[in-house]
Amino acid sequence: MTSAAFVAALTLLSFGIIIAGVAFGSAIGDGLVASKAVESIARQPEARPNIMLFMFLGIGILEAFPIIGIGFAFYIFLVVANVPSLISHLK
Amino acid sequence: MKEHIGEHYIWRLPVLGAVHADTIVTTWLVMIVSLALFAWIGASYRRSQYIGKRHAIAEGVINYISDLASQSLGAAGEPFIPFFVALFIFIFLLNQFGMLPFKTVGLPFGGSPTADINTVVPLALIVFFMIQIVALRRKGVRYFGHLLKPFWWLAPINTLEELVRPITLCARLFFNIFVGELLFIIVASVVIARVKIGWFDLSLSMTFVPFLIQFFNFFVGTVQAFVFTLLAIVYMSLAIAEEH
Repeated sequence: MTSAAFVAALTLLSFGIIIAGVAFGSAIGDGLVASKAVESIARQPEARPNIMLFMFLGIGILEAFPIIGIGFAFYIFLVVANVPSLISHLK
Repeated sequence: MKEHIGEHYIWRLPVLGAVHADTIVTTWLVMIVSLALFAWIGASYRRSQYIGKRHAIAEGVINYISDLASQSLGAAGEPFIPFFVALFIFIFLLNQFGMLPFKTVGLPFGGSPTADINTVVPLALIVFFMIQIVALRRKGVRYFGHLLKPFWWLAPINTLEELVRPITLCARLFFNIFVGELLFIIVASVVIARVKIGWFDLSLSMTFVPFLIQFFNFFVGTVQAFVFTLLAIVYMSLAIAEEH
């Protein structure tokens, strides 16, 4: 295996691991926030607009970290290793 | 067709060096639009009896943000409410301006200025330095006493926490808008590659996905503008709160 193919394969693998970890964590976090919001709306239906506001606020703050992770993953994928050009040179 | 993300038209200015021309021109446009918007909304506040439907919606948004700010900051933060309202409207318009297809028709500007980190870092630094200076002027040197709060040996951690705030504030806004634009590039690359799986034409079926991404981007841009403003309000209320 040439070194370019090795770099491309490892970068693709790490890209997949980063995306998997980010999706796993943010899905659990969003699920916790949404389930707590549904519970509190069931307990206090009159506080629904306020609870929905803080639910979206919490998701907005929480969702930033997976998106920062995806941004760094694409930075590694496209800028540091530049996998598309590596693969096109292999052919 | 080939799109590049993170590449900008560049002006070379005598003192500043290379600057991103498209970001600057788009920000100027957004400034004009937001000034016109505020002039239009201000007209409805000056009129006493009748306001139209659009004025009522705009006043609702402005009143919502200013109520939020005045509840969190109290009487001490009354002079800063216009700043937070302007911050929300400006970031909202910056985020949504990427929706307009200026670059597609060949104009040298367009795209969200908040997808460029040079726009977002100054916004976070403005908020950070404004909070520090206002708290110093209100409380004097004893403002720095909050760094020694539970125990004096926690001062390095408290200082780090204070310094990390502007970094997370700008990284959150920048990466949300940037990844929103990156999604278009990914979909475009799938469409260009003409992928066919058996009889199923993947590229053709992906052509309607940008429509859904635009809805997602509109939602994300609104939520992130609101989160930026609300976190600025919360940091300020922590800094200028009276101790008991």
